[in-house]
Amino acid sequence: MKKNLQWKVIITLALIAGAVIISYPPAEKIKLGLDLKGGVHLVLQVMADDSINAETDQELARMEELFKKNSITFQSAVKEGTGRFSVSGLLADQEGKTRDLFDQYARDWDFSFVGDRVVLTLKPLVAQALRDQAVSQTLETIRNRVDQFGVAEPLIQRQGANKLVVELPGVEDPERVKNIIKVTAVLEWKLVLAGPAADEETLLQAYDGQVPENAEVVRGDASRGQAGVYLVSKVAVVTGKDLRTVRRGTDEWGNPAVLFTMNSDGGARFERMTGENVGKQIGIILDNKVQSAPVVESQIRRTEGGMIRGRFTPEEADDLVIVLKAGALPAGIKYLEERSIGPTLGADSVRQGLIAGLVAILAVMTFMIFFYKLSGINAVVALVLNVVLLFGALAYFHATLTLPGIAGIILGIGMAVDANVLIFERIKEETALGKGVLSSVSLGFSRAFTAIFDSNLTTVISAVFLFQFGTGPIKGYAVTLIISLAANLFTAVFVSHLIFDFSVKKTAKRLSI
Amino acid sequence: MQLFKVPHIKFLKYKYLALGVTALIVLAGVLNVTVFKGLKLGVDFGEGTLIRVMLKSPTPVGQIREDLSRVGLGNSDIVETGTSGREYMVRAVQVVNIKGSEEQQLEAHEALADKIIAALRGEPTPEEAARGAQDLNSINEQALASLLDSAFPGSAPDAAKTIIALRNEKGIISDFSELQDLGLKPEVLTFLKDKTYLGNLTVLSRETVGPQVGKDLRRKAVQATIWSLLGMLVYIAFRFKLEYGVAAIFTLTQDVLITMSVYSFTNREINLPIIAGILTIVGFSINDTIVIFDRVRENQKALRKEPLEEIMNLSLNQTLSRTIITSGTVFLTVGALFLFGGPVINDFAFVMLIGTIEGVYSTVSLSCPVVLFWQRLFKPKKGARR
Repeated sequence: MKKNLQWKVIITLALIAGAVIISYPPAEKIKLGLDLKGGVHLVLQVMADDSINAETDQELARMEELFKKNSITFQSAVKEGTGRFSVSGLLADQEGKTRDLFDQYARDWDFSFVGDRVVLTLKPLVAQALRDQAVSQTLETIRNRVDQFGVAEPLIQRQGANKLVVELPGVEDPERVKNIIKVTAVLEWKLVLAGPAADEETLLQAYDGQVPENAEVVRGDASRGQAGVYLVSKVAVVTGKDLRTVRRGTDEWGNPAVLFTMNSDGGARFERMTGENVGKQIGIILDNKVQSAPVVESQIRRTEGGMIRGRFTPEEADDLVIVLKAGALPAGIKYLEERSIGPTLGADSVRQGLIAGLVAILAVMTFMIFFYKLSGINAVVALVLNVVLLFGALAYFHATLTLPGIAGIILGIGMAVDANVLIFERIKEETALGKGVLSSVSLGFSRAFTAIFDSNLTTVISAVFLFQFGTGPIKGYAVTLIISLAANLFTAVFVSHLIFDFSVKKTAKRLSI
Repeated sequence: MQLFKVPHIKFLKYKYLALGVTALIVLAGVLNVTVFKGLKLGVDFGEGTLIRVMLKSPTPVGQIREDLSRVGLGNSDIVETGTSGREYMVRAVQVVNIKGSEEQQLEAHEALADKIIAALRGEPTPEEAARGAQDLNSINEQALASLLDSAFPGSAPDAAKTIIALRNEKGIISDFSELQDLGLKPEVLTFLKDKTYLGNLTVLSRETVGPQVGKDLRRKAVQATIWSLLGMLVYIAFRFKLEYGVAAIFTLTQDVLITMSVYSFTNREINLPIIAGILTIVGFSINDTIVIFDRVRENQKALRKEPLEEIMNLSLNQTLSRTIITSGTVFLTVGALFLFGGPVINDFAFVMLIGTIEGVYSTVSLSCPVVLFWQRLFKPKKGARR
């Protein structure tokens, strides 16, 4: 055996063995896309401006406080928009003092004085960072929630500036998951000042129809059996952030409820609040809706924890535990795209896809052997190797196989067959011109090579652009296509030639082609 | 074996005829799309909700349309998939006109989907409703387990699992007798017959894409296609000559246009897999074109005296058996997909079937003439000799 032949054989065998090891067993190693496997695919937009609005509100409140503390006179402080607020009614001689205050405490804000008014704008870079943070925190929170919900191999990815793609294989109940992901889950305990009342008017009778300064009106959650409206304190004593453990349990009547304990800091505040307000109601408020408003019967010690009741079904209680454990979303989200593929359809697609694929490959192989005889077997071997290498690469790159991906494979296989056809037809032509067997074979390969190389590379170029600019499914198509074309050049040109080198004797008078 | 001896067909004699045929097909397509609104954009491009359902018993399309008419959705697109008469694809169409914010539109789509599903599912019979039975065909595994748990503590989760697995495998449970072979206790079966009923359908899939994402997907698909065409143009112009690159792109454009024209006469929709299909056709066609150009390039070196038109004829003839064999094998593959691939992949396979036939036509008929036309236009003297 020639020396370079030895190396070629070793390289070929090593690559094939590697591909087989990586991709075996294929049912486990090749990840199927949701269109083939079934599951839920969601695209959602993070309302990243929410976090800037929150920052603006906080800064505005903080500035009001600082102004008062430093005895700077002003008439009103008003939020003007997202990342923008103004303070008006300032005295001219206090401008320097105000500037000093801003320099010290409002470094993230640009400010400009116009007459007795100053406008503060959040610096663009800071705003961008806040938005960015909101999106990545939302992603983390959703990941936590999905993990708690118990989905195997979820995929949660950022797409562009403020979009998230959530893919949950094998999820049966899309509505439930959508709700778990979407709830903001801001949980607050607030003192109830009045209520429940049927409407706002009745509620505020004792307050001359005006909402008191440190209070706000909150609706009850109708689905939790809380129909009325409540007047509660503006500031929450304890929030979801103070929770240490949360689990599903039952109340004294055996109904599902959510049990919690607090961390030491929150527990201390909870203890003080319950101690000071025995006999009064405390509202448990989730996303601005009162879930329940139990009456404090005695002081609750910081280690004791408590219970959230609200006519939950077991599933609802589970879901509340999940979102409380995972924490609140820093910004609201909205759905842009929702797809759910049931397990039956996915399994059917895979089964039918496999049958079709097998029929197709068998048909092509039969044709090649029928048409090209022994040389056809060579082509068949190359084709099988092509598929093996493709699967190996898919497993290696953790690529996901989707329906458009199968299209990419078909094009790849088609071009692999074509490469063999090109070579074989060329060999025939050379033989017809009266060349010997060996020189026909080697001329066939070398003359067909430019066409094979150019056509494969052109297609790779287009696939690269598709990968660059395409979205999910088109990307999947591009990936399988690029991989199979690379495998193609190797099997159809390199391996096929190798097989001819081995099988055709120097003294051969005829080639079975 | 040889398909045929190298033929001597004067392909380039028919170049004007080919151009005419192409123009006719494309014109018919354009008319069909603009005047008769032939080409339907699918759910992927933001047009409504697509629901696939499986019914308990074979039902004619007319019956389904009647059920939907009762809730005012009689003009939905209803397509039967599969062969059992039990699988249908329904797309509501009037959602397109809903105005409002992105999420409102998405919710409107979803609400419509719920309405369609509810209309097809129908109400439980009064008798079933009276005993408070639940629909075994829509209940999820957890809920079924907790239902069973009230009577059969301990064995409930396993029983629920096997029942749901059966439902997933079959798509829908048509009759309680199907549960008999699962090895469930007879009491469980009796219990289920009492506490549950078999609803009319299961939802195989539902897909809604909001208008913003739809627009996005559309824009990106177009962008990706244009860039990849440009990439090919540059490469071919570099490896061959500019006019060959132009001719290749011209051929590909024709591939896309003809395929879309033919497709527009069917009742099928344009979704992302269709775009993948068209890109695949483009891939095969560029492959064919390059093989021929490669041969022309080679023959030009050997036969310097011959006019280009003759060389092209020769090259087309020399590669003809290869063109037919390759397209034939692709046709076999795609044909298998079309026949056995199942409903999800069917549109894709169909577009590929059109494309494979059309691809041969466009390569043979158009790629070389465009090079000639281009040379006549821009290189009058040289074009006469080479």
